[in-house]
Amino acid sequence: MKNRLNWTVVSVFLLLLSGCVGVATEPTTLFPPGEQQPGGGDVAPQVPKTEMSRNRAVIALLDQAQSDNESGQRDAAGASLERALRIEPRNPWLWLELAQVRLAQGQYSQAITLARKSNSFAGHQSRVQASNWQLIGQARVAQGDSTGAEQAFKRAAEFARQAKSDEDHSSVFNFQ
Amino acid sequence: MKAHSSLRNRFHCNFRLSGKAARLFVLLTLLGLSSYIFYLDVTIREAFEGRKFALPARVYGRALEIYPGLKLTREQIIMEFKSLGYHENPHPDEPATYKLTQDGIEFTSREFVFGDGTQPAQHLRIGFEDGRVSVLQSQGNNDVDLPLLRMEPPVIGGIYPGHNEDRELVRINQVPKLLIDTLIATEDRKFFTHWGIDPRGILRAVYKTVTGQRIEGGSTLTQQLVKNFFLTSDRTLSRKANEMLMALLLEMHYSKDEILETYFNEIFLGQDASRAIHGFGLASYFYFDRPLNRLEPQQIATLVGMVKGPSVYDPRKNPELSLKRRNVVLKQMVNQNVITQEQFIVARQKSLGVIQRAPAGTSPYPAFLQFVHRQLERDYREEDLRSEGLRIFTTLDPFVQHHAENALKSRLTEIEKARKLARNTLEGAVVISSTQTGEIQAIVGGRDARYAGYNRAIDAQRPIGSLAKPIVYLTALENPQRYTLITPLDDSPLVWSQPGTTDWKPQNYDHQFHGQVQLRTALEYSYNVATARLGIELGIDKILDKLPLYGIEQRPLPFASSLLGAFGLSPVEVAQLYQTFADGGFRTPLRAIRTIVTADGKPLQRYPLNVEPVAPPAPVYLLTAALQGVIREGTAQALINWLPAEMNVAGKTGTTDDLRDSWFAGYTGDRVAVVWVGLDDNKPSGLTGASGAMTVWGEMMMNIQPEPLEPAIPEEIEIVNIDPVSGLRYDDECRTGILLPFIRGSAPAETSPCGPSSGDASGSIDEAKPGDNNGSRKKNWFLRLFD
Repeated sequence: MKNRLNWTVVSVFLLLLSGCVGVATEPTTLFPPGEQQPGGGDVAPQVPKTEMSRNRAVIALLDQAQSDNESGQRDAAGASLERALRIEPRNPWLWLELAQVRLAQGQYSQAITLARKSNSFAGHQSRVQASNWQLIGQARVAQGDSTGAEQAFKRAAEFARQAKSDEDHSSVFNFQ
Repeated sequence: MKAHSSLRNRFHCNFRLSGKAARLFVLLTLLGLSSYIFYLDVTIREAFEGRKFALPARVYGRALEIYPGLKLTREQIIMEFKSLGYHENPHPDEPATYKLTQDGIEFTSREFVFGDGTQPAQHLRIGFEDGRVSVLQSQGNNDVDLPLLRMEPPVIGGIYPGHNEDRELVRINQVPKLLIDTLIATEDRKFFTHWGIDPRGILRAVYKTVTGQRIEGGSTLTQQLVKNFFLTSDRTLSRKANEMLMALLLEMHYSKDEILETYFNEIFLGQDASRAIHGFGLASYFYFDRPLNRLEPQQIATLVGMVKGPSVYDPRKNPELSLKRRNVVLKQMVNQNVITQEQFIVARQKSLGVIQRAPAGTSPYPAFLQFVHRQLERDYREEDLRSEGLRIFTTLDPFVQHHAENALKSRLTEIEKARKLARNTLEGAVVISSTQTGEIQAIVGGRDARYAGYNRAIDAQRPIGSLAKPIVYLTALENPQRYTLITPLDDSPLVWSQPGTTDWKPQNYDHQFHGQVQLRTALEYSYNVATARLGIELGIDKILDKLPLYGIEQRPLPFASSLLGAFGLSPVEVAQLYQTFADGGFRTPLRAIRTIVTADGKPLQRYPLNVEPVAPPAPVYLLTAALQGVIREGTAQALINWLPAEMNVAGKTGTTDDLRDSWFAGYTGDRVAVVWVGLDDNKPSGLTGASGAMTVWGEMMMNIQPEPLEPAIPEEIEIVNIDPVSGLRYDDECRTGILLPFIRGSAPAETSPCGPSSGDASGSIDEAKPGDNNGSRKKNWFLRLFD
């Protein structure tokens, strides 16, 4: 019941948000509207893996994590991402992916922390920051913190807007 | 008549009584005997069932992940191959063989069952260029570029049942027929027909013993197995009788195949330091580094020959005796038609062919293994650890461990020589972990890293001295309205009174007071008085309350001296503390185990990465800037002798009263490391943090080649050009000054006109922010300030 109420709040909020931001949110968030379910994660973001890392080993591990995740093996997906993180410990996308897995496992506060850690490595990469705030919002919804979720979604929208304008300038990312 | 009958009665009665007694006696004897047999039966069955599957837990180090671009030299991979037991071979087509090529290495990996599935053996090629992997290919009909290769992890130890028994379990159908036949031919020719004992063999043995020729066993394989279960060497008749009874009982309960299988896994075949080698499966690897099915006849003969006396016929310790015994066995093999005459002639001419290896005992890394074991004890029953054949995947990196061990050993020897200290008196400990994942890569428990005794890295609780100061400064910096890196602190004489204790008058290491000093200077030069005053101002309890956040469980006494580190921590605990500073305020519990997998390859437990935000990132960034100052211009300046300034290492020296403990804790972009040096009896060693522990730290990190420290700049941070003299903000156009990080809104608002060198082409800007790559070391602004 409580969940459904939160869900309504968030849906309404998202509706408003998409109204404000327009097209900007769609290609930049990992969770396009309609697929947003607290507790349901997705390791297959819409950002191409080649933009998440230039290291083919890391991309191979992201593929592995994705297939583990699709077959419901969250633990194995987490283990593959940890392997990737040992190769690129400061890659914000990998921390975000791990946050996604924890969200899917229902470990909401761990998911939030990992997203924050991802943000700490994000520098000026607004896209990953948008996704992190999006995820934090979802985790807060699941925790029953609708005010916190609203704030997070708001920040997600800001970063998404920023990302859109950055993209107009250049699409080169560098996190190494 | 009456008397008669009474007499008869009595007689009858007596007779009946004694008859009853006899029957009772017989009954009791039988009862006693049968309960004794019952007892023996239970004992031997327990031993048999229990031992049958007692498999030690096997502990692995990290699996090396190889990918194009990885910083890795050919020497490093050869080191890895050695720890995996690979051999050089001009045709490296068999698993675990390699060959050096002009620009790289060609090899065949072993099949390995990871927690996430089986990885088959592969024929591979790696090319190197400029200290990095340039090519990674799997070789076959077509060479294929691989994005990533996960090597099989090296075995770093085991957790063994009973008396450190190690074994490699083999099923009877995996044992080559030649080995079975040889064993039967040599030890017990009637094995398949007797009931557990061989009466004629026993008679022969008794005859020889009685006639004083010699004391002989005449044991069947079944009896040998029983004997092996209880491992006593006394040769009493009662033991012999027990052994025979138990052998008969075993044969009643189990088939010949079951007994033989257990024999193959149980029999003692040598000692590797503290580790006992049991069974042919493990012995085959231990002496010849190959599985049973690849043993050659003469190797089988060597192993079977050892059954008679594993120590006497040890092919490493007593090669001559072993060779003699082997040839006796070979002779019996040919006599019993186990091998042909031709095979015999060929085999007899071969050398023993034992691989040379250093005894590793239960682990070459006892300190790390001890840490793993303690973590496991929290989650598992000891008996399961020792018998279920668990496979434990840990985080140990042999490369890092190797450099940590070597640096500790060589530096301590050099320090002793340079300071004319008695040899082999200094001790030390090292812990190295990964900054972002909290994985422990190396633990050294003492300068003799092979010694499995006192583990200083986890058990020595020594006062941490100035290593505690960052806790005080972080607490201050978390209040940016009141404290910044340039806030003046008071380093004038201080007396601290607390009811119940004597007055405390902290001193600085140089026995001077420095008046007003900037906050960062007080930390860089490790001023005790300024720090104590700052801590008292902030509140001793408030500071000590934060320790649990950083993973420190114990609570020091609420005295001001605790702020200066008058409490003991182990090097591992210090590593946990500094891990949070290194990781921008995120605490990751240090981990030594990644996963535990059952004997048949199913994941049993994962120890996933867990992160907790315990300190806001901006103050931690400021703290890191000050800790970089410790090396750039403070107490650890001499680190430049090992690591270039571009490394931007952050760290802190720690020295305790009368120079009893020498500490250094620090971090680079990828690693956190802590070193302690001192004497076990807690007498003064005469070393400061900088003259002892820091030198070990520098040497090992230089060899490990860490990544430079470039912490991400939190959004709340701005970098401001400051006049070091006035502590005011310089005009933007000033070309002199020092760049310092501030939490937004906390930098001085007031500007100072440009200094004398402003506008001058020779003027320069010192940077003191964590990402600094060009900080000028030439001018020491601190000295200018106070001269």
